[in-house]
Amino acid sequence: MRDLAVAELDDETLRARADALGLALRVDELRGIAQRLGRAPSLVELYAFDAQWSEHCSYKSSRSLLAQLPTKGADVVLGPAEDAGILHLGEHEGERYGIVIAHESHNHPSQVVPFEGAATGIGGIVRDVLCMGAEVVAVADPLRFGNVDPARTHQRAVARGVVDGIAAYGNAIGVPNLAGDCYFDAEFDDNVLVNVVALGLVKESQIIHSRVPKHGADFVLLLVGKATDASGFGGASFSSVALDARETESNKGAVQVPDPFLKNVIMRASYRVFSMLRERGIEVGFKDLGAGGIMGCSAELCSAGGFGAELDLDTVNVAVDHLLPEVIAVGETQERLLWALPEEIVDEVERIYNEEFSLPQVAQNARAVRIGRATAAQRYQLRHRGELVMDVPIDFLTGTVRDSLPAQPPDPPRARRKQDLSCERTLDDLLHATLAHRDVCSRAPLYRHYDAVVRGRTVIPRGEADAGVLAPIRGSQLAIALSVDGNPRIGRIDPERAAEHAVYEAVRNVVAVGAEPIGLTDCLNYGSPRDARQFGELVAGVDGLARSARTLGLAFVSGNVSLYNAAGGGHAIPASPIVACLGRLTDVSQCVTLALKEVGSRLYLVGETQRALGGSVLAALLSLRDEGVPAIDFERVLVEHRFLLAAARAGLLHSAHDISDGGLLVTLAEMSFACYPAHRAPIGIELDGLAGWSNVGRYESLFGEWGGIVVEVAQRDVDRFEELAGALESVREIGTTIEQPFLAFDDEAWEIDDLHRSWSRPLEELFP
Amino acid sequence: MTARVAVLVFPGTNSEEETRDLLLDCGADARIVHWSEAASLAYYDAFVLPGGFAYEDRIRAGAIAAHDAMLDVVIEAAQAGKLVMGICNGAQILLEAGLVPGSGEIRRPTAAFTHNAQGHFICERVLLRRTVAAERCAIAAALPEGTLIPAWAAHGQGRLAASAAHLEEIERGGHVVFRYADARGATDAHLAPQGSALGAAALTNREGNVLAIMPHPERDGWNFNHLDRREGADILAPSGGSTLFGSFVTALERW
Repeated sequence: MRDLAVAELDDETLRARADALGLALRVDELRGIAQRLGRAPSLVELYAFDAQWSEHCSYKSSRSLLAQLPTKGADVVLGPAEDAGILHLGEHEGERYGIVIAHESHNHPSQVVPFEGAATGIGGIVRDVLCMGAEVVAVADPLRFGNVDPARTHQRAVARGVVDGIAAYGNAIGVPNLAGDCYFDAEFDDNVLVNVVALGLVKESQIIHSRVPKHGADFVLLLVGKATDASGFGGASFSSVALDARETESNKGAVQVPDPFLKNVIMRASYRVFSMLRERGIEVGFKDLGAGGIMGCSAELCSAGGFGAELDLDTVNVAVDHLLPEVIAVGETQERLLWALPEEIVDEVERIYNEEFSLPQVAQNARAVRIGRATAAQRYQLRHRGELVMDVPIDFLTGTVRDSLPAQPPDPPRARRKQDLSCERTLDDLLHATLAHRDVCSRAPLYRHYDAVVRGRTVIPRGEADAGVLAPIRGSQLAIALSVDGNPRIGRIDPERAAEHAVYEAVRNVVAVGAEPIGLTDCLNYGSPRDARQFGELVAGVDGLARSARTLGLAFVSGNVSLYNAAGGGHAIPASPIVACLGRLTDVSQCVTLALKEVGSRLYLVGETQRALGGSVLAALLSLRDEGVPAIDFERVLVEHRFLLAAARAGLLHSAHDISDGGLLVTLAEMSFACYPAHRAPIGIELDGLAGWSNVGRYESLFGEWGGIVVEVAQRDVDRFEELAGALESVREIGTTIEQPFLAFDDEAWEIDDLHRSWSRPLEELFP
Repeated sequence: MTARVAVLVFPGTNSEEETRDLLLDCGADARIVHWSEAASLAYYDAFVLPGGFAYEDRIRAGAIAAHDAMLDVVIEAAQAGKLVMGICNGAQILLEAGLVPGSGEIRRPTAAFTHNAQGHFICERVLLRRTVAAERCAIAAALPEGTLIPAWAAHGQGRLAASAAHLEEIERGGHVVFRYADARGATDAHLAPQGSALGAAALTNREGNVLAIMPHPERDGWNFNHLDRREGADILAPSGGSTLFGSFVTALERW
């Protein structure tokens, strides 16, 4: 058996041998393994530990931090313990329904091979949702690209490749792309962020867990999907180290090859298996093959149920002969899942995949195949060509590994300015420049590559409201809303507040469509945990998330940590906590879009203006330094949101749109632009003088990004709306909708068509 | 007895459920039939081919599926005058099968819905108007004159392409049942978001019993997914694009 004589080598030689084998395990970890096993570990074992103990699988540097996040609540059906979390949606015809939600990153693969990296990001997360027994109903994509100016050919190619990969995969499997956001910043030039969220629908009585059930000793492990090949070998460790441009070529083999067409059929076949299991009332285990491949998945599936496992690698369906056992064991070939099933139904499940859905005809040697069993003995054993190539205590393999690392708290920005901003540039110039800014302008050229409406359940597609809305159950008025957010302009200057703003924006967007926020997920994209400053940003971010979610009474039910994201020159990307918020509507007819509905309505601002331009697009345009980031009073936000939801339920909100990138004028302009897709002439707006609604300067009021929501209330509903607002001070009337297609303020009046031209075109040249 | 409609699923189809659901809600007896159940197709009176990516859309969208065993049944049914409607990938398959416009031999296509002018997938709202006389196509016959059908263009290959001679034949033979329209109902080739020849969104065969429509009416087919959700309307009731499905069901009842 090929092994590594760890005990006989000095540290330096051991490091060199490990490097030559492509192992990211540290010398002390290697020695720990040899010591525990009491012998020289085999190469298969080393690659197994390398994957299993990688940051990607073990969360070794972040696990203790994540314990701070609130994870319990009345709507939490399943917190962050398995492949995805589950939130309670509601009841329909006597059944309780849950929404499965998972949130992942595919940053490093997408940087190296953008199309395949982004596509497999969707592919992986879809399996995370599927393996909970759910039907996959939506995906969403938060994206952070580099500077994509015309001369930046590489950064442009990466951005296009990512968008094409998401489109190719998501469109083919037939899952609507419901939400997402997109930012451009030179600090992502060498390390883009490609996060992905997926949602599934499941009856709460029929959730399948990622573990062998209690009575599952001797359960059969049935591998389903694509034939195992050599792609994706070393994927888990690869995503746990910083990218080095010189190694980009050699890293390409670590990225998997997607096959969405096969996945489409696997998903449908699995739905058929779900209904068969339901009819027979059989409890099973089901898990997605992600990091660590067959080994990682089978070890976690069995150990989570309190079992060991024995597998025969020769039974695995392979795409090519003569694969090394470590490649079969830990390679990350896409489109595979693993069932733990009682013997009596294995034949039937095999028949569904292999005959009814004819997997072997859909893709070369794709199939369902028995590869091993769960065992009462607490060992993890792999055989290959008759030889035992891995034999370790299973809890040692899958148990918690933790690193305790020093962190240095980040400095918040120094807010120097005490007076309102004064500025040479005209409002007209600033408004057009803001609308055309890449972080503000229309995202339609990007998201129109994605199928937003397949399955026919999409109520509000991207671009028509602050959050995507979907009615997932046929015959039911229950609906969900989804928004994903995180602002890197704040992340680069104030990591703690960036986390608060990510929560606030995601929640605010869900409230703006009239949905009640019911839960959160997070993807924490940061630099190296081995750099105290960079690790300190992660610590501050988790603090911010925990505090804001607690005040809002929301739990994080799923999440992901992506570390070692480097901007080059030894510093990290901007702190990028990205948060998804799921909302619930009990009556889908109460959802609110952002398009203005009628002339003569009153516009109200719900929220408080602030003298704080830190992280704003205006600050970027004017190169302002030392600006404070707006503070968030979550207690007040909670009251405002309850009021808005009551108003939405009472049918008082004609339209609503939050204030975010670009500030209030952009918000108002977009409410007017949104009339176009409805084949309507734009409705104009007359904004009242500042004195009536703001106590800060004109730039801070019109371009500040302090949050809040603008709502349109029909003239006939004004009394009821104001009565409902009661003593709430942060509700102020700010303007009126007018017939003339203008945005008017003071003595300025901008033609909506002109503003629309500035806003709608900038991304067209990048995504033609 | 209610006529039975089979909604066909090929490996890669992805719009079968909503297509079946809207047919049900419009009063049809519709069932999903899977490629491994092709033998059961003989029992159905009409066929709907929904959207997706059959057989990975290898060669051209719909080209492989046109040779699937399920198409043997569909072709025979179409030639016997039964109603057949293909939506998006289903429309592409009907063209590849040579059923529409039907001027050549079976499985020797004379026109295709092929790569969009912009070279990639697009997903956007469109409006369609019938531009032939009601009686020209049985499936669209029950639509009131001038009806605008809201739908979604969601395809990478939705641009009608054919030789000049075949295009002229398509135009002259009244094969273009629906064209892309603006909110006032005006039609013009430039309104086709992917550059489709003749501004065509849907074609029929000579006999008018087969309809190949690129955009998806079922994705704007109920009040809940309709752009202008009217206050007080039953949010779960069919609306918008369902008018075409309603017309299909009416034709089926008359058939």
